[in-house]
Amino acid sequence: MVKAPWLRARRRVVVLAAAVVAGALLAVVLLFVLPGGGSSNVTYLDSTDRAVLYTAGHRPLAPDFTGTTLTGSRFSFSSYRGRVVVVNFWGSWCDPCRAEAPALGVAAQQYRPSGVAFLGVDVRDTTASAEAFAHNFGITYPSVSDPSLLITQDFATAVPIAGTPVTLVVDRTGHIAGAVFGQASYAELNTILARVTGTGSSR
Amino acid sequence: MTDVRAPEADPFESSAADQDDHAPGNTDRQAGSALGLAGWLRWAWRQLTSMRVALVLLFLLALGSVPGSMLPQESTNPAGVQQYYTSHPALAPLLNHLGLFNVFGAPWFAAIYLLLFASLVGCVVPRTFRLAGSARALPPRAPRHLTRLPRSATYSVALPPAQAVQVAANVLSGHGFRLRRSAERRPAEDGDLPDGPWVSAEKGYLREAGNLLFHLALLGVLVSVALGGLFGYKADRLLVQGSSFEDTQSALDEFYPGRFVTAADLGPFGITLDKFDASYITSGAQRGQPASFDAQVSYTAYPGGPTRTDNLEVNRPLSVDGAKVYLIGHGYAPVFKVTDAGGQVVYDQATPFISGTSGNFLSQGVVKVPDAQPEQLGFSGVFVPTAIEVNGVLQSAFPAPDNPVVSLIAYAGNLGLNSGVSQSVYQMDTAGMHQLTTAPQLLLKGQSLKLPGGQGTITFTGYVPWVSLAITHDPGQLPALICGIAALAGLLLSFMVRRRRVFVRARASGPASGVQSTVQVGGLTRTDASGGFEDEFASLAAELRSAHDQAAQRQHEGE
Repeated sequence: MVKAPWLRARRRVVVLAAAVVAGALLAVVLLFVLPGGGSSNVTYLDSTDRAVLYTAGHRPLAPDFTGTTLTGSRFSFSSYRGRVVVVNFWGSWCDPCRAEAPALGVAAQQYRPSGVAFLGVDVRDTTASAEAFAHNFGITYPSVSDPSLLITQDFATAVPIAGTPVTLVVDRTGHIAGAVFGQASYAELNTILARVTGTGSSR
Repeated sequence: MTDVRAPEADPFESSAADQDDHAPGNTDRQAGSALGLAGWLRWAWRQLTSMRVALVLLFLLALGSVPGSMLPQESTNPAGVQQYYTSHPALAPLLNHLGLFNVFGAPWFAAIYLLLFASLVGCVVPRTFRLAGSARALPPRAPRHLTRLPRSATYSVALPPAQAVQVAANVLSGHGFRLRRSAERRPAEDGDLPDGPWVSAEKGYLREAGNLLFHLALLGVLVSVALGGLFGYKADRLLVQGSSFEDTQSALDEFYPGRFVTAADLGPFGITLDKFDASYITSGAQRGQPASFDAQVSYTAYPGGPTRTDNLEVNRPLSVDGAKVYLIGHGYAPVFKVTDAGGQVVYDQATPFISGTSGNFLSQGVVKVPDAQPEQLGFSGVFVPTAIEVNGVLQSAFPAPDNPVVSLIAYAGNLGLNSGVSQSVYQMDTAGMHQLTTAPQLLLKGQSLKLPGGQGTITFTGYVPWVSLAITHDPGQLPALICGIAALAGLLLSFMVRRRRVFVRARASGPASGVQSTVQVGGLTRTDASGGFEDEFASLAAELRSAHDQAAQRQHEGE
């Protein structure tokens, strides 16, 4: 068989086009296969990528917010300025929040003498259920109600909050120094807090 | 001379090439072991970009989607997959191995659509180049014997050949033809142009432009779809009347982001469901069918922004902040208040119940009270908007809440929530619990059920409607629409415009050589285009002839 004349004449164009298309496809495949590039401004505490420490100088600024606590009093985040603050996003409906509550309670007791403030942000919840939860787990630090996730959304522009629970550690300058996305363990909280408070504290 | 060639050598070459590509049986039989690796690769590429393979891939794509809709999928219905495992213990692992519970994420499915994409792009890109070349191409040289063309006319005129061709060129140019002339080298000298000077004219390049537009727009559609898949997202959210949510990932019940969408790309709008009304047909055969749905919402496009209101109806979405919010479902959320043994209010909220397949919004749900003391409490319930009893079975006679009733079974024990593994809010694991009430307890609005053993009280305090919203953001939607329209326009253009060619050649004739010319006019068009060329050619030939006669007349008068 003789090839069509146009084929011979246009082969270079066809081969070029094929190369471009193949390259583009390869790029697309790589995009789908390769994991997202990790930022060098972040240190992962373990292999799961859930618990992170942000490098000083690259810490996202925590948004300021005001709200109402579960007990009905007004709260302004700026009143904690100058202190290390642990902000825990939780809900009474959230099963991992139940699992992590004892660890948060222990860490709160331990770091209170160092001046670390603990604050809950109670998301998509009702006061009755949230108070019962706090009562049940012996949580003594305050929680701000966030039924429509307005506060959560504010924080989600600073760090990638994809669900509940999330625990953030805000340093004395109001920047987010560390985070646990998902159920936090005592070890993770202790590691982050020891770094941020500079106490090198261990149990 | 080289400027003389048979017309058969140039059969609208670009159009012929169009048909070669993506044509069935466009198989290079020379490609074999003799051609080596490069030959094989070229053969494989040509196979991939052939129409036949593209159709096979399209069919495979459709076929591959079938199990995706027949079988429960991990991404959308994980509970259904678990159920399938329990009901088909032998078959399920095999299906899972084949990726049939996650069809749209399976490697074989990705292979099909990537190959299809490659096939389409590999077909369209080279054709685009060819069409672009063809749209810019000059008409071919005039054939030697114009009388052999489908349309032709011959006449004599008292003008030298070069002048006759010039007059013809002016006429054709005035009709918008693209021209190509014979080399005008000393036309009077014999031997340079033994068959006389000529002009070729071609019209209807818009056909190629339309074809080009169609192909480019087709590529645009592909890119737009990819754009939507990579940068768009879909999300679902159930919203109880009177409550609000912000478009942030934690607030969404389901979230299906595109490849390049992160939580930070969402929102930042917020929506409150102020009121939801559903009305139903109250009589006739259609009784109980929905008449209208209306969700009154207020929303802010960004936190702290002005609050606007809108009404969502079925197929009338709210557009906010680049996203569309659709009303896709609704139901009832009975409000329960639970006090535990110590008299503490441990639960007080609207609890969405889901209506099953049974009609008239007979809805089921669970109330989990994990912080009740001394034991966790759980209630499995049914909400009936218009309760009637048929043979001792509770049924709903109408979807509107004309006689709302809840029926509850109470449990106490361990809800199994503290392990940290998330459970569905619509299901309750009663394995660690014991039933407190033997029979389902019916409650009317305002009635309470005292739990035995002083375990507490549950009160059915009322009910509110809920709606389920689908939030979609597809940045490829508008480009895809524009490209689709452009593709259609290009296709119409390429169907309606004909390419046609007209050639004029003048040969010296008669005794006074060089003064008298025989003019031949020939024309052809593509046969697959609609008719009408005969008339166009006839009038054009007549116009040429009269122009020639007038020119000869003027010259004669001038002498």
